[in-house]
Amino acid sequence: MPYTSLNSLSSYRYGFHKPEKYFYKSKKGLSEKTVEEISGIKNEPDWMREYRLKALKVFCKKKLPSWGGDLGKINFDDIYYYIKPTENKVSSWKDLPAEIKDTYDKIGIPEAEKKFLGGISAQYESEVVYKSIKKALSKKGVVFLDMDSGLREYASLVKEYFGTVVPMEDNKFAALNSAVWSGGSFIYVPKGVKVDLPLQAYFRINAANMGQFERTLIIADSGSFVHYVEGCTAPIYSTDSLHSAVVEIIVKKGARVRYSTIQNWSKNVYNLVTKRMRVEEEGIGEWVDGNIGSKLTMKYPSVYLVGKGARGEILSVAYAGKDAHQDAGGKVIHIAPFTTSKITSKSVSVDGGRTSYRGLVQVLPSALHSKTKVVCDALIIDSKSRSDTYPTMDIRTSKTQVEHEATVSRIGDEQLFYLQSRGLKKEEAEAMIVNGFIEPIVKELPLEYAVELNRLILLEMDGSVG
Amino acid sequence: MSLKVNNLSAGIGNLCILHDIDLKIEKGTLNVLMGPNGSGKSTFASVLMGNPKYKRVEKKPYLSLNGKDISNFEPHERAKCGLFLAFQNPSGIPGVSVANLLKTSYQTVQRSDNTPSKKSAHNPALSVFKFHQELVLTAERIGVPRDFLGRSLDGDFSGGEKKKLEMLQAIVLKPKYAVFDEIDTGLDVDALKTIAGAILELKKKGTGILVVTHYHRILEYAKPDVVHVLVKGRIVASGGCKLALEIEKNGYSKWSKSKN
Ligand SMILES: Nc1ncnc2c1ncn2[C@@H]1O[C@H](COP(=O)(O)OP(=O)(O)OP(=O)(O)O)[C@@H](O)[C@H]1O
Ligand SMILES: [Mg+2]
Repeated sequence: MPYTSLNSLSSYRYGFHKPEKYFYKSKKGLSEKTVEEISGIKNEPDWMREYRLKALKVFCKKKLPSWGGDLGKINFDDIYYYIKPTENKVSSWKDLPAEIKDTYDKIGIPEAEKKFLGGISAQYESEVVYKSIKKALSKKGVVFLDMDSGLREYASLVKEYFGTVVPMEDNKFAALNSAVWSGGSFIYVPKGVKVDLPLQAYFRINAANMGQFERTLIIADSGSFVHYVEGCTAPIYSTDSLHSAVVEIIVKKGARVRYSTIQNWSKNVYNLVTKRMRVEEEGIGEWVDGNIGSKLTMKYPSVYLVGKGARGEILSVAYAGKDAHQDAGGKVIHIAPFTTSKITSKSVSVDGGRTSYRGLVQVLPSALHSKTKVVCDALIIDSKSRSDTYPTMDIRTSKTQVEHEATVSRIGDEQLFYLQSRGLKKEEAEAMIVNGFIEPIVKELPLEYAVELNRLILLEMDGSVG
Repeated sequence: MSLKVNNLSAGIGNLCILHDIDLKIEKGTLNVLMGPNGSGKSTFASVLMGNPKYKRVEKKPYLSLNGKDISNFEPHERAKCGLFLAFQNPSGIPGVSVANLLKTSYQTVQRSDNTPSKKSAHNPALSVFKFHQELVLTAERIGVPRDFLGRSLDGDFSGGEKKKLEMLQAIVLKPKYAVFDEIDTGLDVDALKTIAGAILELKKKGTGILVVTHYHRILEYAKPDVVHVLVKGRIVASGGCKLALEIEKNGYSKWSKSKN
């Protein structure tokens, strides 16, 4: 297999350190003063400052969720809530620190194979590509900015939608994010505009949107289409133990938004994310969500189907290795009639890792003639590892069609022997089986992400098993 | 040069399935193994490939490939030495396409080859591209449609199609020694001819072959050099092509009764 010197790679497993050059660092801990400071430095309008302060109050009042993973060890007083890096954006691939590039090269695709797959090499000249894409986008009236710039340049649009899909009262971490958010993306796609290339936050590695409390807002106007891709497969080292993002998406009539994420945080990170879409009449909202690293991930992308005939789909894939707990799944609320939804979850636990599928499908009495399907499959590699499912179906009308399937499987000896007889080491065979298992979801990702994810699994399996 | 089995006894738990087997497959020859259901043919094939499920009765060397003792090699190491097994019932892997499996397998088996081409090591992409081209051509030659290559091996293929895909792997991997466990079962007449042709071609290129079969039919297209008969885990007779014909006529009763 492509990875010959695994020992040299293992030092990269925890990713890279961001260079410790800071322009401004707030004091540790959370107070009104910190929040005011953050807002002040950013020169925000009054309404946003007040919004943040109000959210802080909500945060203090709310209790930690009693379900999911163990959150008791988070010390909210020991966290920097705002850090402004000296460099906002990495101007080109060349400027990235050598060790970061190294990591990406190791995970990434060999030069030659890149060419074969076609076009992927473009990733490596990210800035050039980014600029040309931005030019093409602005011609069509598409706005693609980091959230801070979005607030500055499109204040009224932000004010109209900010916090409407994920209100600060939603949960403790949504409140926290509302109080101290920084970075993230702001996207507006005008009526009828279809963005053919996926928009990738990938281009801005280490830049503003990789923050601790990202806030993303996407508005897809009637009949438009956009595919947004966030994160990357390379492990992201972070000294911050808590990451709590909020993503809000508004899918207007007949529009379609797909949001794909692959996250691979280092193993000290609590990754607690609230992502939600509101889908209007005949609109389509899709989440493709992949979680690999972190200590604990709690993430349930949600779709609110508020318009007649709206459709929602959630594809979730989770991989929990040693000491990791992936509590992931999805949530769909059917509010309007003739709405359809599908949740597909695939989880892999290995080397003592733990995965939980947690899902909620709610069909309200108003959602007549709705259809929903939930499929969750778990693959457990060894007896040390664990997988649970917590599916909740709350169906309040009889005029609906509900399907639910769940499987738990282990790797069969015959499958292993078959692959071994074809020259694969046991670990390689297991990695191939795992990759095959998650393939139905991975194939929905842009090609380069899919290729990298497959490699990453191979790397993880080879290091952890046997 | 040969694949040599020396005094092999093996089984599962306390059940001994194979008893004192001696067998030699010379390079570039076609050998046949026949025997009643449950006599241990698949077990034998599986043990040759190193299936950890089966335990040997005595832990002494029992298998050598071109003079090299591979008795303690794991399955993937045996594959890298040039051993290949076409399964009677291949268990596919969901989500893993035939092409992907073959590419990975080819790369691993090739890499261990004694003559690694510097070119392909230098530029894997080129070799990947060439590999795909060749794969498509090879597939067409044995009647495997191109679109099969993108499908996964687990279940959706018909019985006969699965056998063809096992043969495709054998051709691509160019093994030094290959065991085909009932590759002829369930094939239509044309497919049978194609598969027999492919076996002969491998043989011509120097592969030593063991074909496990119940039928004389395939042997009409691919004439064997040696025929062995396995009954209750023992080789009870070895001979030429005629032996297969005789079995076709009279069955195994002659041997089944004689020994217990
Ligand atoms: N795991 C097992 N536990 C118990 N018995 C087993 C096991 N595996 C194989 N056997 C037995 O070993 C014997 C040999 O089986 P094997 O599959 O090798 O036969 P075969 O000669 O290939 O038969 P066929 O012609 O039907 O393919 C059979 O009696 C079978 O039931
Ligand atoms: Mg058999």
